[in-house]
Amino acid sequence: MKKILKNDAFWFLFISVVITLVVYGLNTAKGAIVAKTVYATFFEVLDIIVAVSIFIGLFQVWVKPQTIVKLLGKGSGLKGFVLVCTFPILMGGSLFTIFPLLKALKEKGARIGAIASFITAWGGKAPLLPLESKFLGWPFALVRIGFVIIFAFVMGFLMDWVGDKTAQIKKEKSFLVEL
Amino acid sequence: MRAGTIYLLIALVLMAISSLKDRQKTKEAVKATFKIFYVVMPVLIFVFVLMGLIQAYVSREIIVSILGQKSGLLGILYAEIIGSVALFLPPAVFPFGGYLHDNGASYGAIAGFVFTAILIGVTTLPLELKLFGKRFTLARNLLTFGLTFVIAIIMERILS
Repeated sequence: MKKILKNDAFWFLFISVVITLVVYGLNTAKGAIVAKTVYATFFEVLDIIVAVSIFIGLFQVWVKPQTIVKLLGKGSGLKGFVLVCTFPILMGGSLFTIFPLLKALKEKGARIGAIASFITAWGGKAPLLPLESKFLGWPFALVRIGFVIIFAFVMGFLMDWVGDKTAQIKKEKSFLVEL
Repeated sequence: MRAGTIYLLIALVLMAISSLKDRQKTKEAVKATFKIFYVVMPVLIFVFVLMGLIQAYVSREIIVSILGQKSGLLGILYAEIIGSVALFLPPAVFPFGGYLHDNGASYGAIAGFVFTAILIGVTTLPLELKLFGKRFTLARNLLTFGLTFVIAIIMERILS
């Protein structure tokens, strides 16, 4: 029982059922609308979700985090920057899963601009394209992914600029201390 | 043929190729697939309930007035704020965004919502602070919010 209560999946389903039942109890017609929306959307996306889960599962196994760190850690310079702004688009997962990976990148000496670019590019979410195009159409999905690359580039430049400023302030401060 | 069926076929072909190349790795991939599905599906169902609630209680006119084309820059700003505080997993962002669009939200507002929902998270802030520090976290989230605003305006121009 304790195990069930600690389970996010259980709570999401539990709350979903409770909300639907409460709405149904208050107003049968509105409850029916909620239930119908859930039912229709569920069967609309089920096959896509299964396919997307398989894509992300395969990617996770065949492209290990260590490989990514190695790949991106190697080329600083322009090539590394281009990689950092594009490659993460292919990755799945949530911010929770990529932050620890980025910590490793940082410890290997990656600039903060590269880290910020990585996070932004990861927002491209190519594995979710089937889902995005289904709900928002291909034009939206493709234009958005195009902008993600530009977004990641600009983000990298700006964050490096922010980082440089910090370094400068630190330098000045340490200079003051020495005095 | 349904688009979903085609994706499913592609996924199964990739799975088959993977298992020919490395059985052990493919087993791990199947396990990972089940785990992802198990994490994502309940959240999606919760989001579908939210969509149902909006369907039942919020009229199209309200969505149009807040997030529609005529709401302009303010609509994009609202959408970004919603996206920043929304506790969505990325796979739930698109169905919800699509639903809002079908009910009158502009492409610009949806772009604002999608980018901030994926890239800014109230729930991930503590971890980001811990791993990367105050300055990085503050700068990254503010810049993401600002740049999203610009991109959303351009996307609105291009798509509509």
